[in-house]
Amino acid sequence: MSRDKKKTKSVKSISGGTRIFTYICLAWALIVSLVPVVWLGISSLKKDPLARPGFQLPESIYLEGYISTFRDLHVMRYFGNSMLIAGISVLISVVMISMSAYVVARMEFKGKKLVNIMLYSTMFIPATALTYPVYNLINNLHLYDTRAALILIYSCSGIAVSFFVIKNYYDNIPRDLEEAARIDGCGYVQTWVKVIFPIARPGIMTAAVLAFLNNWNEYYWASLVLIDRNKLTVPALLSTFTTSFNTNYNGLFSAMVIIILPPVLLYCIFSKFFIEALSGGAVKG
Amino acid sequence: MGVFILTELKENNKNKSRLRRRRSGFIILFLAPTMAAFCIFYLYPIITVFITSFCKWDYTNITAPEFFGFADMWNNYDYIFHTYPYFWEALRNSAVWALLGVVLQIPIATAIALALSRKVKGVKIIRNIYIIPNMVSTAAMGIIFLQLYNPSYGIINPVIRIFKKEFTDNILLLKGPAFIAMTAAYIFFTGTTTLMILGNIMAVPEEIREAAMLDGASGLRQDRYVTIPMIKGTLRTVSVLAATSGFLLYNEVYFLTKGAAGTYSISYVIRELAITSPRTQFGRANSVAVVQILAGMIIIAAVNLLYGVSFKKKNNRGGRAS
Repeated sequence: MSRDKKKTKSVKSISGGTRIFTYICLAWALIVSLVPVVWLGISSLKKDPLARPGFQLPESIYLEGYISTFRDLHVMRYFGNSMLIAGISVLISVVMISMSAYVVARMEFKGKKLVNIMLYSTMFIPATALTYPVYNLINNLHLYDTRAALILIYSCSGIAVSFFVIKNYYDNIPRDLEEAARIDGCGYVQTWVKVIFPIARPGIMTAAVLAFLNNWNEYYWASLVLIDRNKLTVPALLSTFTTSFNTNYNGLFSAMVIIILPPVLLYCIFSKFFIEALSGGAVKG
Repeated sequence: MGVFILTELKENNKNKSRLRRRRSGFIILFLAPTMAAFCIFYLYPIITVFITSFCKWDYTNITAPEFFGFADMWNNYDYIFHTYPYFWEALRNSAVWALLGVVLQIPIATAIALALSRKVKGVKIIRNIYIIPNMVSTAAMGIIFLQLYNPSYGIINPVIRIFKKEFTDNILLLKGPAFIAMTAAYIFFTGTTTLMILGNIMAVPEEIREAAMLDGASGLRQDRYVTIPMIKGTLRTVSVLAATSGFLLYNEVYFLTKGAAGTYSISYVIRELAITSPRTQFGRANSVAVVQILAGMIIIAAVNLLYGVSFKKKNNRGGRAS
């Protein structure tokens, strides 16, 4: 509390120039993030967006697009798919990586350097470069057009970011804790499960949130390995939008609003948690 | 006595070796899943990509890639460098997007993070709103921008018409403007990056700021000379991420132009050659992929160089810290 007070005090003395710059930045942030979304919202309520383009308000609110989206498009199914696929793969990858990151952060062993280089290298190996081999592998495993294929791909990709976020967090945990646990008779696995994992939870959560966002929004692989309409994730569904609505703009806009709404709502509910996780816990929502 | 010591030593050794065995067992157990994932998703595909980039492999021999022979081993590269019409355009675009990530996206993200770090009224709300576009998938954002740029009902053309009365073109079909429009469709959404930077700014100890204040550095001067140097590590990390994601841009290309009007990206070329074209060219796609991997490495090295830290130094420091 007293820290907060101090900060407010120190800010009161900021000079005019800084203040103006700050307001410009904040105004810019607001405009950039609101214009596309607000425009989309307004347009979705117009019967004919062509007749009243831009930011003109609709003459009367027209909800047919929303109704038909729910009636004909089964959007909930795609949200379910996305949730299932992103959720399971985050669980797998984060548990797996928090195990390995612990070993690399705390233990000396032969080949540690190699492990480090391997994991670091995943950062600059673009997934798109691996398109065909992975596509082929999925086919050979007979996983083509299954949700399991995407779960496999998402669990294995994006190792580097999660690894470094989690390892950084381990590096900040004092070693005494493990030694104490060891003296109390905990084995290695037990020490990790009972002592380290709970302490490192904020770091692990950060990695999990980042990975979840990535997987939720991932389009490239989703559009490659899934064909069956019933199994599509939300982003993959979007590619059908550019053609299937043709001239029904009201329908298109309404469907877009419905598709972007759940993540935004989820975010509003959990914004505190998201912000803490993404900023490494330093910024309290 | 001597015997006793000897047995104790033996006991000790036994214990030690048992402990060591348990330790190695633990290490292997905990590393194995990630290593397996690495081999499945990275190692095996990379080896395939490198080898088959020297093979004739296309829609005519899908199941059996065929080595060109040492005399013609660069055939695929020759094709993409000299015959394939979009390669250089794609490489140049992707490189520009990588560069813009570092020189445009990161400064914007930092400026906004600094603004958000000051206790001005409404900062929390703006911070929450600013992340919303990042919660929306880039695919959805691509479609939204496709509509914003639409000449008949979007909002860009009316704005242009203020300056140029007769403008009725679709800017996504004009060479030049299309590239700018596509860049604008993603580059300003720096929500997650801003938050990562903001977290780091908030973690700068209050004492340091106060000391800076006493020395007469406040506001922007303090940001420039105190805060930014303190968060250099994070800035480097987010710069690498911005550069690579710019270099790998795909969704925006797919949803906005499909490569029309000079907007091909390397990722788009690979996808087109390997999967979507009716005459798939796996070998050639993989040689583009090899170029992409190498260029990606160069870009990351360049960013690290820019921040004055070489890979080696960083690894050493990491080693010492752990």
